[in-house]
Amino acid sequence: MAKVERKGALSHEQMREFFREMLLIRRFEEKVEERFRAGELPGFLHVAIGQEAVAVGVCRALEEGDVIASTHRAHGHTLAKGTHPNELMAELYGKLEGCSHGYGGSMHLYDVERGNLGANAVVGGGLPAVVGAALAFKFRDEPRVAVAFFGDGATNIGTTHEALNLGQLWNVPAVFVCENNHWAESTPASQHVPIKDLAKRAVAYGMESMTVDGQNLREVYEGAVNAVEHARSGRGPVFLLANTYRLTGHYVGDPQVYRPKGELQELRETQDPIQKARAELELSDEEFEELDREVTELVEGSVEFAKSGTDPKPEDALKNVYA
Amino acid sequence: MPELSYREAVRDALSTVMRQDEDVFIMGEDIAEMGGSMGVTQGMLEEFGPERVRNSPISEMAIVGAGIGAAIQGMRPVVEIMYEDFLTLAAEQVINQAAKHRYMSGGQLKVPLTIRTQGGAGWSPGAQHAQQLEAWFVHIPGLKVVFASTPTDARGLLYTAIYEDNPVIFFEHRTLYGIKEEVPDELEPIPLGQARVHREGDDVTVVATGRLVHESLAAAKEADEQGISVEVVDPRTLQPMDEETIVTSVKKTNRCVVAHEAVTRMGYGAEVAAVVQYQAFDWLDAPIERVGAKFTPLPFAPVMEEWVVPHADDVLGAILRTVGRDGN
Amino acid sequence: MATEIKLPRLGQGMESGTLVRWLKQEGEQVEKGEPLYELDTDKVTQEVEADASGVLLKIAVQEGEVPVGQTIAVIGDQGEEVPEAEEKPPEAEAEVDEEPQEEGSRAPARDEERERGKEASAEETMTGQIAEAREPTKVNGRIKASPLARRIAREKGIDLSELRGTGPEGRIVAEDVERALAAPAPAAAPAPAAEAPTEVEIEQLTSIRKTIARRLTQAWEAPVFQITMSADMARAQEIREQLVERTPEGHAKPTVSDVLTKVAAVALMRHPQVNAHFADETMKRFPAAHVGMAVATDRGLVVPVIRNADRLRLSEIATARADLVSRAREGKLRQQDLDGGTFTISNLGMYGVEQFVAVLNPPQVAILAVGAIEEKPVVTEGDLEIRPLMSLTLTCDHRALDGSVAAEFLRTVRSLLEEPGLAL
Repeated sequence: MAKVERKGALSHEQMREFFREMLLIRRFEEKVEERFRAGELPGFLHVAIGQEAVAVGVCRALEEGDVIASTHRAHGHTLAKGTHPNELMAELYGKLEGCSHGYGGSMHLYDVERGNLGANAVVGGGLPAVVGAALAFKFRDEPRVAVAFFGDGATNIGTTHEALNLGQLWNVPAVFVCENNHWAESTPASQHVPIKDLAKRAVAYGMESMTVDGQNLREVYEGAVNAVEHARSGRGPVFLLANTYRLTGHYVGDPQVYRPKGELQELRETQDPIQKARAELELSDEEFEELDREVTELVEGSVEFAKSGTDPKPEDALKNVYA
Repeated sequence: MPELSYREAVRDALSTVMRQDEDVFIMGEDIAEMGGSMGVTQGMLEEFGPERVRNSPISEMAIVGAGIGAAIQGMRPVVEIMYEDFLTLAAEQVINQAAKHRYMSGGQLKVPLTIRTQGGAGWSPGAQHAQQLEAWFVHIPGLKVVFASTPTDARGLLYTAIYEDNPVIFFEHRTLYGIKEEVPDELEPIPLGQARVHREGDDVTVVATGRLVHESLAAAKEADEQGISVEVVDPRTLQPMDEETIVTSVKKTNRCVVAHEAVTRMGYGAEVAAVVQYQAFDWLDAPIERVGAKFTPLPFAPVMEEWVVPHADDVLGAILRTVGRDGN
Repeated sequence: MATEIKLPRLGQGMESGTLVRWLKQEGEQVEKGEPLYELDTDKVTQEVEADASGVLLKIAVQEGEVPVGQTIAVIGDQGEEVPEAEEKPPEAEAEVDEEPQEEGSRAPARDEERERGKEASAEETMTGQIAEAREPTKVNGRIKASPLARRIAREKGIDLSELRGTGPEGRIVAEDVERALAAPAPAAAPAPAAEAPTEVEIEQLTSIRKTIARRLTQAWEAPVFQITMSADMARAQEIREQLVERTPEGHAKPTVSDVLTKVAAVALMRHPQVNAHFADETMKRFPAAHVGMAVATDRGLVVPVIRNADRLRLSEIATARADLVSRAREGKLRQQDLDGGTFTISNLGMYGVEQFVAVLNPPQVAILAVGAIEEKPVVTEGDLEIRPLMSLTLTCDHRALDGSVAAEFLRTVRSLLEEPGLAL
């Protein structure tokens, strides 16, 4: 097993730009929680507050033409892959201007033009298609990489294992990003996975694996750059484990009765990737507030955009069933 | 006109498309050196090589899912699922993924994936290797479903299925692989959604699929000798259904029998019957008869298996009942 | 030797007729060729002549609907025995469910079934499985009938409760209804005793009315278009007046309609595409113009035909027309008076209708609607003149005719009306 080479150091400027994006995702998701509680958003919403560094670090390591498949916790991945907050928010409001034109919703965010092949609401459901997309790149000799996001919970489902096995067997240019946020919905890792180190999942398939601190933007980014490069160069897929924390419930409104008291508070104080990145950047209060104002305006604007969007006609439901 | 077996006809469609189109490849279990468990892909590895004739691990979810991913990227993969019983393993990928990507993306994606599979009783494999599960898939918006009953149809329909921009489940019947038919020199694509009237008749319409097309033709011949003129219609494409041809036929004959090998209860025939009763209610002169397997898993012992699945005499019985004769 | 008088088939597609009344009574002497009874078919009410001479020994069916081929009377020598079977009233026959009602049976399967039934009759009799022993048609007040049987019954006004089903479980199937249709109508149920005067009046359609309804509905399926022109009728009126003057006493005087018939016939010969039938994806063009004219009668509209109108002189057309119209009004048209029209003219001018659109008379491909002659101001070469104008509206089946062909035909009609000398 050749080790994945380490390269791709993050400059201060890039770091600052990525930080702004993480902050945008955070403010966006806080707004989503707020609007959901206000009764404006239909459906079922999962925010990824606490996991912003993984979304930004991985997606920013990709190049144009690379594709991702996401999960039910997809707002961050979608924004980080380049979808405008307006289009994302419009989707959450069920508008035609939404990135899935009102047909998908929070759990089915697509933006094919920007390489987002779709958020998947079936745990592990998107991994086989990532193998297939990567296989197509290989068939056509295109230097592109396909990335699958999935959680620790998905490492226990058959599709994940079949996909890892097939991906490695056929040596496709794919990166499997396991966002280990330590909770499968309400079930802690101790109750759903018998091993501590999820990177060992890859060992059975002879697949390269890397582990990064998912709360550390720089580490995620640098790890992802190397993993993607490894896959792109034809050396096979990589299992990229990002250990992270979900600083909210499973879904918006989740009372989290299953979570030990105080755990969340402590994690928010010690494991917030935004705070960590801000500290590393040594941003002054003024600098932070300026960035914050900027992204908050974007988010507010996205709500305005979404609310004034076009409702589909009921019978639009009949469209797009077949090509 | 060359004579092709059903097996050769399927192979001919695959090879024809693969010769002309680099975007098409096939993958499945045991399809390379072995040539597929039914021998359909024999010789294709030699012609097209292991990249395009991809032997896969026993991973139905992954190979269907990989087909989806490649299809989304613009290729036209053909996945072989060895037995349709094993489609159940990939059901999530077929139903939640392949059928819905286009819809969930608001029309951004298309999934030009073909899944070939086969099933059918008559050789005592028992309960897990011969089911007819087409009714599961015709119920899913976003999928198209084909069930070819003759070499000509298999060849022309598979070609069209591969070039279809939507996922297609292409059912083949195990006991039909050996039947032969003269086929056109040049492959003639057959549009999806067009039924084939195998035989015209005036008194009873039999809508049959798969093996039961042949059983129904035999029954029709027998009925003819008894003075009953039977029209046999094979929908060929189960989804979308050629309602017009079926309804037109029933309006002419005023009687309808639906026949398939799958279990009768909740079967495809129930949908045909529903369409017919709704669109031709005032033309019906007898209740619509359904012919299908009894509501049991497939038994092993040949005598039981033979009894459970329908044959020509079951179709004949149904035909007789529609004209008011004792068809038992 | 007694001769059975059977209901004749008097036209293509005639399945039955309704006996209106007998013109001879039982015991009366009848000569072959003498009118024997009045029959209402779906096309016309007519007198039917006796096809044998002798004494009318027996009238088997007094009135009502009778299928073609059924014996309705017996003519023979005075005192001759009337065969027993023929004396059976048709109502009784319907109950017996035997061969005569085969007419109209749709499914060959049925014949086959009877054959089989006969073969197996011995066994069936023993097991009691014969038709009579089948389940009752009516269960808990609900009549068991197939949807097709119900539809036919609904369309033909058959009361299903009067029928006995021969299908599985006693179900009334289409064949049962068709058999009932072919049989004489059962006696009407007695009317409710005291009907309120405000009650809606329900009139059962006569055969003629049904035919009209059916044909007009059929006509409505054709993709039609209309074109209209006005003809200056001054010359036509002049010539007609001259001809009227010259018509001997007792002969039919030519009318504007007659001029029109003649003119249309001549125009049809010049435009054979219009003198045609369209049916079953073929066009039939005719070498002669048989011009039908719509005649209103108190029984409904009939369209008697003036044959070879293109070859008849105006006086001959007038004679033929007068005969047909008077017989139409008396209900005495024969089948042959109605058959074979290649074109139809409908004239409502006498009612003061200025212009109207006639409904196609399939399989003919065109029909001409003619309005009243009215004095109208016309500008000719800058001068205002008062001219007698008549509107001509041609309805065409677009499947058979294109607009230009129709226009050329209508232009010929107009120019011939404006200078009838060219046609007469």
